[in-house]
Amino acid sequence: MLPKTVVTGVGVIAATGQGKAAFTTALLEGKHAFGVMRRPGRQLQSSYIGAEIGEITFSPDITQRTLRASSLSAQAALVVLQEAWSEARLSDVDPCRIGLIVGGSNVQQRELAQMHETYRESPAFLRPTYGLSFMDSDLCGFCTSQFGIHGLAYTVGGASASGQLAIIQAAQAVLMKQVDVCIALGALMDLSHWECRGLRALGAMGSDRFGDQPALACRPFDRDHDGFIFGECCGAVVIESGESCDRRGVKPYATLRGWGIVMDGNRNPDPSLEGETQAIQKALGTAGLSPSQIDYVNPHGTGSFAGDETELKALRSCGFTRPYLNATKSLIGHGLSAAGTVEVITTLLQMQAGRLHPTRNLENPIDSTMNWVTNKPVDHLIENALTLSMGFGGINTALCWQHHHQA
Amino acid sequence: MNKTKLLDLIAQHTREVLSGLETHPFVAADRLADLGANSVDRAEIAMLVQESLNISIPRVELFGPKNIGELADLFLQKLDAA
Repeated sequence: MLPKTVVTGVGVIAATGQGKAAFTTALLEGKHAFGVMRRPGRQLQSSYIGAEIGEITFSPDITQRTLRASSLSAQAALVVLQEAWSEARLSDVDPCRIGLIVGGSNVQQRELAQMHETYRESPAFLRPTYGLSFMDSDLCGFCTSQFGIHGLAYTVGGASASGQLAIIQAAQAVLMKQVDVCIALGALMDLSHWECRGLRALGAMGSDRFGDQPALACRPFDRDHDGFIFGECCGAVVIESGESCDRRGVKPYATLRGWGIVMDGNRNPDPSLEGETQAIQKALGTAGLSPSQIDYVNPHGTGSFAGDETELKALRSCGFTRPYLNATKSLIGHGLSAAGTVEVITTLLQMQAGRLHPTRNLENPIDSTMNWVTNKPVDHLIENALTLSMGFGGINTALCWQHHHQA
Repeated sequence: MNKTKLLDLIAQHTREVLSGLETHPFVAADRLADLGANSVDRAEIAMLVQESLNISIPRVELFGPKNIGELADLFLQKLDAA
């Protein structure tokens, strides 16, 4: 078994709420914020549906100077990191022993497209800061500078599995003793109308069926699903060695028991039953848990035809029968790079609340034999959870979590 | 455009980029570095002024001025030559 790594803090923002308290309330009440997207640069001869974050509230110590020089992705990172930092009391930790892994690549596309548009006719006046901000690693620089982090910091990319990949990479940095604490950030993927068009053209993003009914468009695992619906979100998870956590006397959310990463050897968006099954089995294997011990699964569940179908087949082929399932994306949409991190946070918050959030629009499940949480929340104390992510390019990741009482 | 107006323009963009200068009385002898601007901030301020004036100055020439008065003089000289 792996040495113990635990989660000692989380921070989150989504269109349904900023901060753990508001986010959890919205989750358990089954709230959503889907509509035709309105953020500048999101539409061009289009009316894409998605869930956008409203006005972000910043703590008073964040200056206008900082905000002016930060992208939407950076601003979201700032508020979730602050929340996670304060919960995990990271000000008490040696800054040289703190790391940051940013999950996601090409996350600031809308800001870049807006900048290109603004300076198309007058390129001589392009803002010098563009030379910094066009790189995703600017988020590492921005965040480490804001929080005085002196351990390691870098980005990892795995398409829609980036958020889980960041957690795995953070855990590895802690297990390698490179740092005692490593924060995994699922970066806010800021799509421009170009990416929306590409994802729609690819057949990945819905919704042909519910174009004029945004509230009905996002429906993972429902027979009427027709693709994922985008949702802005961002999350931070503080991964800490069990030793450091015990020494500091911080109460953890859960233990990261194990994980799996499997590639399908396939560049395309289509899922693979074998790849997903193997990733789940690897995660269970390193966790030393059997499928019957998992009592909650937070699936990838995007709402795509092949993706939803394949994921349920993979769960069945691994021998899961008992666990509850719900689809977080039905409430907050698909955050792409951030999804894996935010869904882990959702799992941990449900673990803490002893309650599972409802799944919106799950009227006719494609497989009704699964133990779905449908339109009402369910009281349930999660003991062991499995969280799944898959990404374009054939990446499959799975993580196993154990409630800290059981750890 | 005279020097006073140019100093006002530089002050306006400096306030935009930096924090806490809302009530600072800008004078020609003010140095951007002393006001808290790092090299990226200084490049950003200089570019915003160029954009406002619709005039492009080679970056190497912007290294010369030692304070915002000298920066204003450089812009005035370029405006006259344009």
